[in-house]
Order: sequence, then structure tokens, then C-alpha cells
Amino acid sequence: MSADLLTFLGAWSIATLRSATPLIFTTLGETLTQRTGVINLGIEGEMLVGACVGFAVGVATGNPWLGLLAGGLAGATLSCLHAALVLGANANQIGSGLAVWMVSLGITSYFGRALVGNQVTPLPDLGSPLTDGVPFLGIFFGQMTMSVPLAVAAVVFAAWWLAHTRTGIQWQAVGESARISSENGIRPKIVRFKAILLGGLLSGFGGAILSVDYTQTWAQDMTKGRGLIAVGLVIVARWKPALVLPICIIFGLAEVAVLRMQTAGWSISPHLLATTPYLVVLFILIINHAVARRDTNMPADLKRVFA
Amino acid sequence: MQKAIACFENVTRRFGDLIAVNDANLEIFPGEVTAILGENGAGKSTLMKLLYGVHTPSSGRILINGKPSTISGPADAMINGVGMVFQNFSLLPALTVRDNLLLAWPKTPYWVSEKNKRTTEVLANLKRLAPHINPYSKVSNLSVGEQQLVELCKVLNLSARIVILDEPTSVLTPAESQRLHGFIRQLADEGVSVVLITHKLADVEACADRIAVMRQGQIVDVSTRGQKSMSEIVTLMMGSDVKREISPPTYPKKRVEKLFLNKICATAPGMSLKDISLSIAAGEIVGLAGVAGNGQALLAQVIAGIHPATSGDVVLDGVSLIRRTQMETLSTPLGYIPEKPRENAVVENMTLSKNLNLRELASGNIDATEDTKNLLTRFHVNPPEMDRRASTLSGGNLQKLVSARELGWPRAAILACYPTMGLDLTAIQMIYREIFAQAEAGAAVLWISEDLDDLIAGSHRIAIIRDGQLVAVKNNDGKLNRDTLGALMTGLHPERRIA
Amino acid sequence: MSVHRDTVLIVGATILTFFLLTIGFFVLLGKPPFEMIGMLLTYALGDGYSISQTLAKTTPILLCALAAAVPGRLGLISVGAEGQLYAGAITGTAVVLAAPDLPAALMLPMMLVCAALGWAFYGYVPGILRARMQINETITTLVLNYVAVLWVNALVFGPWKDPASQGWPATITFPGAAILPALPSSRIHLGLLIAIALAIGLHFFFTRGASSQKIQILAGNRKVGEMFGLNFGTWVIVLMAMGGAIAGIAGIAEVSAIQGRLQPTISIGYGLTGFLVSWLSRHQPLIILPVAFLVGGLVAASDALQLFAKVPAASAIILQGLLFAIALAVPGIIKSMRPNYER
Repeated sequence: MSADLLTFLGAWSIATLRSATPLIFTTLGETLTQRTGVINLGIEGEMLVGACVGFAVGVATGNPWLGLLAGGLAGATLSCLHAALVLGANANQIGSGLAVWMVSLGITSYFGRALVGNQVTPLPDLGSPLTDGVPFLGIFFGQMTMSVPLAVAAVVFAAWWLAHTRTGIQWQAVGESARISSENGIRPKIVRFKAILLGGLLSGFGGAILSVDYTQTWAQDMTKGRGLIAVGLVIVARWKPALVLPICIIFGLAEVAVLRMQTAGWSISPHLLATTPYLVVLFILIINHAVARRDTNMPADLKRVFA
Repeated sequence: MQKAIACFENVTRRFGDLIAVNDANLEIFPGEVTAILGENGAGKSTLMKLLYGVHTPSSGRILINGKPSTISGPADAMINGVGMVFQNFSLLPALTVRDNLLLAWPKTPYWVSEKNKRTTEVLANLKRLAPHINPYSKVSNLSVGEQQLVELCKVLNLSARIVILDEPTSVLTPAESQRLHGFIRQLADEGVSVVLITHKLADVEACADRIAVMRQGQIVDVSTRGQKSMSEIVTLMMGSDVKREISPPTYPKKRVEKLFLNKICATAPGMSLKDISLSIAAGEIVGLAGVAGNGQALLAQVIAGIHPATSGDVVLDGVSLIRRTQMETLSTPLGYIPEKPRENAVVENMTLSKNLNLRELASGNIDATEDTKNLLTRFHVNPPEMDRRASTLSGGNLQKLVSARELGWPRAAILACYPTMGLDLTAIQMIYREIFAQAEAGAAVLWISEDLDDLIAGSHRIAIIRDGQLVAVKNNDGKLNRDTLGALMTGLHPERRIA
Repeated sequence: MSVHRDTVLIVGATILTFFLLTIGFFVLLGKPPFEMIGMLLTYALGDGYSISQTLAKTTPILLCALAAAVPGRLGLISVGAEGQLYAGAITGTAVVLAAPDLPAALMLPMMLVCAALGWAFYGYVPGILRARMQINETITTLVLNYVAVLWVNALVFGPWKDPASQGWPATITFPGAAILPALPSSRIHLGLLIAIALAIGLHFFFTRGASSQKIQILAGNRKVGEMFGLNFGTWVIVLMAMGGAIAGIAGIAEVSAIQGRLQPTISIGYGLTGFLVSWLSRHQPLIILPVAFLVGGLVAASDALQLFAKVPAASAIILQGLLFAIALAVPGIIKSMRPNYER
């Protein structure tokens, strides 16, 4: 293969991975949450808050890792609201998620004002003398930051953890039936609380990666519905952490394609092009329905939310 | 005199206005089988759920080994050596057998894998009790009898000193019940206290050492085996010497075929019907017997038109019931009482009177308000208030409400699924009366029930379904017995020993 | 009857808690709370101008709330009013651009009708996805929202751009015939009348008439409805399309009466706010009327507060989110305080 082709492939691969990374964290978080029978539409808000706080801390301290951590914590904190509403007050889960989203839209729009235009220290890339200059590998590692391998590792670990640890099995049980789980000695509310918190943490982390690592800026409503898309992608991933990776990569690919088409000077309006990723999501949802046997994988208690 | 391992002292439990358990006093001894006998709604399950920690007593106290119980939930109960097998199982169908066992086992290690020796320990009891069950298969793929074995293994894994079984034989064939009885006695011999909640005298006769009779929340009598005769015990249970009076109407002289099931095939996840054919005459009552989960529910749904059939037809009075347009659906003369009325037959946030008129409302005919008040009283619906929301009714009353709607007017055919589930004896007799009245008026009746005794007592013919097929249709000529039917239901020869 | 007592208790507790949280909110911002609340009330209802501002904001909120309420009666959660609003704006504007010289009598109805159709389509798509493929309508409507906004941008930055408006992306100003008539020197326009008429009409539709019972049955227990021959899927499509049409009217009304041309930002979250209002009112049109008015007042007053008291613009949406959260929490908390509440 010619060096040019390899470079081209390398550029596209790494761009796809980096574009998908924030979504991977968020989708993974929501997958684990939904596995315990809770749906959280508020992850859009948690992602946004994570992006905002992460960016702010990153700028203030000059340390991107602190920013990422802060973003995760912010997401987790916000998810407490959803947990309080759904577990404490038995509120409708979909409504509660939307309320969390509304609140975070307001909070980030207010606090984010001051952040527009700031610069943040980005994460270092993983290029090294070993790989620089090598076709494919050079550009692949040259543009990669730690967030990508972290995302992959997270997915792999989560998939293994869910199936092969005692807590993982308990989480699955709670998602199937809270009543039966409690008859078996588990406390479903505590498990669900932890799951919502973890989902918030991962979503906030994903949002922080979006602002600190991927775009290195902050803009109002910059997640543009990624969190909501994540909720839909969980269904396509059949609630299996392992499938989160390929599904998010497809989305990342669509986004990268759109960006490349814009810079390549295609005469299609950039706004129309920007609709592509969303249409891809709808498309995936439709295909998923046609292909899948009727939601045999949906955790049983989650079905009740939609009943 | 042995010391009691568990003791109820003046225990009462209320749910709002309902007093489920009223001033109960009971002792449970090690190595004995204590039977809690009573009919539906007597409070037996609630009593034992108090021991297991699912509920806490409103007043009174429970002692374990002489000290007040600290059990505040199933987790505590399991640690304290109390295990309970619920009537509708606490298994998660989507998980494997092994995962279900691990879930309930206090000694489950954090890392769960084949290489971990402690993980394999959990399967030891399963291998001993039921070596034919694959631990890695999903619970949803097991038969009901196998699922019960898994439940028992769960409890055994706890090294429980008290094992509570809630109506275990209600879902078993006669042969499986016998095996269970033997197993219960074995447990008792090993020193375990077994509490057996049941409404069936056969269970009591087979393995009980002590018998506590409950009626309307109170323990009315406790006796040891042999102290009282069975009919005395029945009297205590029912409150009066009420014998089960069922006498179906006599066969009409001339057989006029009315309801035809013609080679019905249908599929649903986990079950498929193959070529089901049956013909029911006007005024005839056909009972459908079978182990739960062999296609009864699917068949009922197909006949009622809810689930599509892949081939075949259901014909009533010459009109096909399943090849019809939406308009024809609404005027069908089939009375259908589905199982689980709360989920499948009522709209909970509508009033009782609207629920009784659901057919008319659905067809857009909102002016038809039939005389529903009489229906409510006739069918013992409590409280008989027209404007009450259906959500406030208990399960039993919902069952009666649905029966009122379906049996309250003359119908050409009746399809009744477990119509007496959860009802007390007077209500059961009322339902039978109504069904028989419909038959006498010429309706064709198909009756699905889990109670073989009732089917034998009340049907003209009995059909048996297994694995989605009708394996036999027998005339109820007085020569049928439970062993034969049980064998047909499971497919095993009655004499063959089940290992 | 205890049902009414419950509702009063819930509504009362909600308002009280919201009141308390609002006070806390202003304290956090460092402003004197009671003075702020007083100003809110003044800016909402204080004088003729304020009231007209309030009503101007109420109109799209009311329409979007009705748009969410219609599918809401069947238990569907459609948050797509925002997108449907934009979609209707597109189709309505298309009429104006295609035939700018039509007289008002023809132009206005055609605009409205095309807007309604455009939005009906935008409601139809998630509806059919839900009906035929069980794809959750909340997710589809939310995703389509973003798509519709982008389409408007594409049109307004591109083919529909008015060459005369240098740099500022917008269509030509609507000719006089295309502007919805309004009360003189105020911003109260025909859209409000249409909205109120719709609310009353929908009330009758949902409480009397054969359809109301069918919808109630399907919403209460879908299995039972289907058992008696009702088709859930058909009603999903019908109601989603109806909701879409209503939101469409909101969009073209905003464009025509308030802004006078199609621009990138038609709505400031009216769709989401409308959804909130409908939820609070339990999807009942007659209750939606006053609630939409109150929330419209809140939004108008927050705008004014931002200008005059330097309160951040985001307060409006934060307060709405809090209101929503409280409304979700209060019924459950009250229930758990009952003596015979079972875990």
C-alpha cells in the first residue's frame, strides 16, 4: 500500500476515534445505568456541565487532567438530582432527565459566558520517535491522546466487570427485576443510585474530553445533543458494553466525514452537512429495529419505564 | 421438649385498613415440617413474609432462637439462616442458573469465574439435586419444575435452618409433587425446619408434622399430625362444613358444534402452537389442563384475537374470529376472561362502570350505560361503587369485575383463563354458577385452569396441552384420575420412577 | 372527594417550594430576593406594555404546550415542538417567498395551513417510527429538533437569503399581507386567538366524543384497548401529527408576527418550555391556558430583569428547570409521607 494511502487511512482512523471518544464514555455510562433499569436523559446535561466545568478547571489550573477529573465530578454531582427525583420521589424517569437537562442548560449558559475564547492546555499526544514518520502509525499516534486508549480500556473493563464480578451480576439482576432482587437480599435503590452516579461521572468525563481534549474550546450548548444520542445508541448496542465501541465509532465516522466534506470545499451548505450525524442516528435506530429480534435484551425493569 | 427455633408472639400486620395477620401465635421447631393451611387470602404468605423480613409486624414480636428477631429484610434473613421459596419464584429469567444461584449465596466471591474454586461450590447442591440441569442455561429455558429445583438449591446453599415454601405444589404435576414431598421429609430428617404454606390437603397429608390452620388472618388451630381428622381440619379451614359443590349442567341431548379450533398454529417468543384442533358443542364445558407454560396463554390470546395465528382458524357460529376487520372484532360474542386481570383486562384509571362497558366505549358507543350496579353486586365486587377507580380494587375483586363484564350477559362462547385465581370459596362457587348458567343457555365454554380437581369436577371433557400441542382429549366419565392426567401433562409414564 | 384534596395539596406544595427556591436562587445571585420577585411581577403584569410582552411570549408557549399535550394524552412524551416549530416556519415561509404578492386574505390562511402541514409531517415521522417500529418518540423528537434548526440555518444562510441584508442571514421581510394582524402598538397577535380557540377545542375533543374514550382506554392499558379492537399505532400517528401541526402554527406565528422574516433563531426554547407547561398541567388544555400565561409572564419578566437588573439571562431556564423538578418530586414525596404508605 502506498504511503499516501496509509497516511490517509491513519488520519481518518484517528480522527474517527477521537471524535467518538467523548460519546463512548457517555454511552458507556448510560449503558451501565440502563442495565440497572433506570433511564437518564439528563446525561446530555451532565455532559454539558462536564464540558463547562472541565474547561474552566483546565484553564484555571493549566492541567488538563485536573480538568477532566473535575468534569467527571461535576457530571456525577448533577446526576444526584436525577437520582433524588427518581429514587427518592419516585418521579417519572423521562421527565426527571429532561428537568436535569434544563437546569444544566441554564447553569452552563450562565457560567460558560466567561469561558468563551479562553485557551486550555491540551493533553499531550502519543507521538514518539518510534512512530513518527512511519506511514499510518506516525499520524495515528501523532494525533492520539490518552483519552482514546482510556475509552477503549473503559469499555473492555466494563464489559468484563458486568459479567464476571459479583457486583456486576447484582447490577444485572436489579435491571431485570427490582422486586426479585430485593427478595434475594440485594438493595435495588442503592444499586441504582450507584449506577446513576457512575453514569453521571462517565458522562461528565466525556463532556470534559469534548471541551478540553477534542475541541479545546467552550461554546454554548456545545454537546449539541450528543448525550441524547447516547441514550438512543444504548438501545442499538443492546445494552452490552462491548457493542458500545463499534456503534460510537460509526457515529464518529459520520462526524469526521462531515467535517472533511466541509473543509474539502463541497458546495453543500455546511448546515445541511451538519444534519448528517443526526440522520445517521435515526437510520441506525431504524435498522436496529429491523434487524433485532424484538427487544429481547432490554433489561426487564427498564421495559416498565416505557410501558 | 424441644426448644422452638422461631416463635410468633401476638403478631399483627396491617396494610392500611386491611388486617392481613391478626394476633398470631405460632412456634416452629427444628426437624419438623409445619404446614400452614388455609384458603386463598387467609394470610399465610404474609405471616411467613414477616418471618423472612419482607414486612415488619405492626405489633407483636418474632423470636428467633429465643431472642427477638433482627431481620429487617431478605438479606438479613438469608444471613440468619432463613430461606424462602416464593410462589412465583424469585428467579431472574434472563440470567443463567449459575448467576441466579450466585446472587443469593452469601459466600459469593467478588471475582466470579470458573477457575475460582469458591464459585464452583455454589453448584454442588445443584449437581446433587438436579444433575440434568445445565448451570449455564438461562432460567427462562427451564421448565417450571426445574425452576423450582433451582429455587430449592438457592435455599439449600444458604445452609438454612428454616426453609419456607409458599404453595410449592400449585405449579407441579402430581408426580413432581410426590417427589417434592419426599424431599421435604428428607430435609426435616436432616434437622431443618420446613414451613409449608399450602391450601391443598394432599400436601398436608403427605408430609406435615404439625398443622396450623389459618382463616381470615387468624391462626384458628394448631395440632399435631393425627390429632384431628381431615374433615375436622377442612371445617376449621373453611369456617363451616362447606363441601366443594360443583355440578356441571348435564349434556344437551343433541350435540350442536359451536366453537371450532381448526389446526391453529402460532408462534411467540419461547412457544409455538402446532395444529391445535378442537370442537366444542353448545352447552359443553371443555377444561384445558397442562403444566403452566405449555402454550395455554398463547392459545387463549389467539382465540381472543390478540395474537395472530400463522395458520388455522377459530370459528364461532360460522363466523371466523381471527380473520376479521376491526369492526367485527368489537361485536364478537366471545366472552374472554384473561389471566392476570389487572394487567390484561382492566383500565385501572377508569371507573368500574366504564370498565364494565369497555366494549361499547371502544366501539365509540358512549351512550350505552347498561345497568351495571346490579352486575357489581351479583358478582360480589367489593366495594360496589360505580364511580370508584379500578386501581383501588384488590386483585381478587378485579378478577370478579372482569368476570362480571364477560359473564354478565349471554354470550355465544366463553373463554375463561384461571377464572378463580385468588378468590375465596364463596366467590369461586359464584363464578362456577355463572359459567354453568352460560353453558346451560347454550354457550360453548373453554376453561383453562391449573386446578385439576376443579377441572375433573366441572368439565364434560378434558383436553391436555403440552409443548404447544393438544396431546389428548378425554371424556370426563368418572374414570379419569390425577395420575393419568399428570402423566399426559408431562409426557412421562405414570409408573416410571423419576430419579 | 379525596382526589381533589390531593390535587390542591400537590399544587400548593409545588408553588410554595418553587417560591422558596426562587428566593434561594436570588440570594445566591446576591440580589435582594423579595425586591427581585416584586420586579418580576411588575415586569410581567405591571402595565399595558408588560402585559402585551407577556402575552406575546405566552402565545408560542401555549401552542407548544398544546402540541405536547395532544400526544401526551396517549402517554407519548414528545419533546419535538421545537423542531416542529422550525419545520413549520420553513413551509410557511416557503409560501410567502413563492408568492409574495398575494393579498392578505389568501396569504394568511395559506401560510397557516402550509405551516401546519409542514409541522404535521415533522410530527408524523417520529409518530410512524414509534407506531411501526416501537422506536421511542422522545429520542426521535429530540434528535429531529437539532435537524430542523440546522435546516433553517441552511436555508437562511443559503438559497433563501435576502441579498439586501448584508451579512445578516435572513429572508426578505415579509410583505404586509403576510404579517399576522395584531392589536395596534402591541405584540398581541392573531396567534393568541388561534391558540386559545385550539385549547378550548381540544378540551372538548379530549373529554367528550367517542374518540376521547378510545384514547383514554389506550392510554390506560394498551393491551386492553387492542383486545377490544383499538389500534394503538394509528392513534400514535394521528396524535403526533396533530401535535406537530399545532407547533407548526406556533412557528409561523413567531416568524410572521414577531420577527417579520425567517431568521436563524426563531425560538428560545419555546418547545421545551411548552413541554414543561403541558406536563405541569397533566396535559389538560384548560389548565394549560393559565399555566402557559404564568410561565409566559415568567419568561417575559426574566427578559426585562436581565435588561434592567443585570440578572443573568439564563435564569429563566434555570427557574423553569427547577419548577419542573419540583413538580416531578412533590407528588411522590407527599405520597411517601402518608401514614399507610408501603415501601
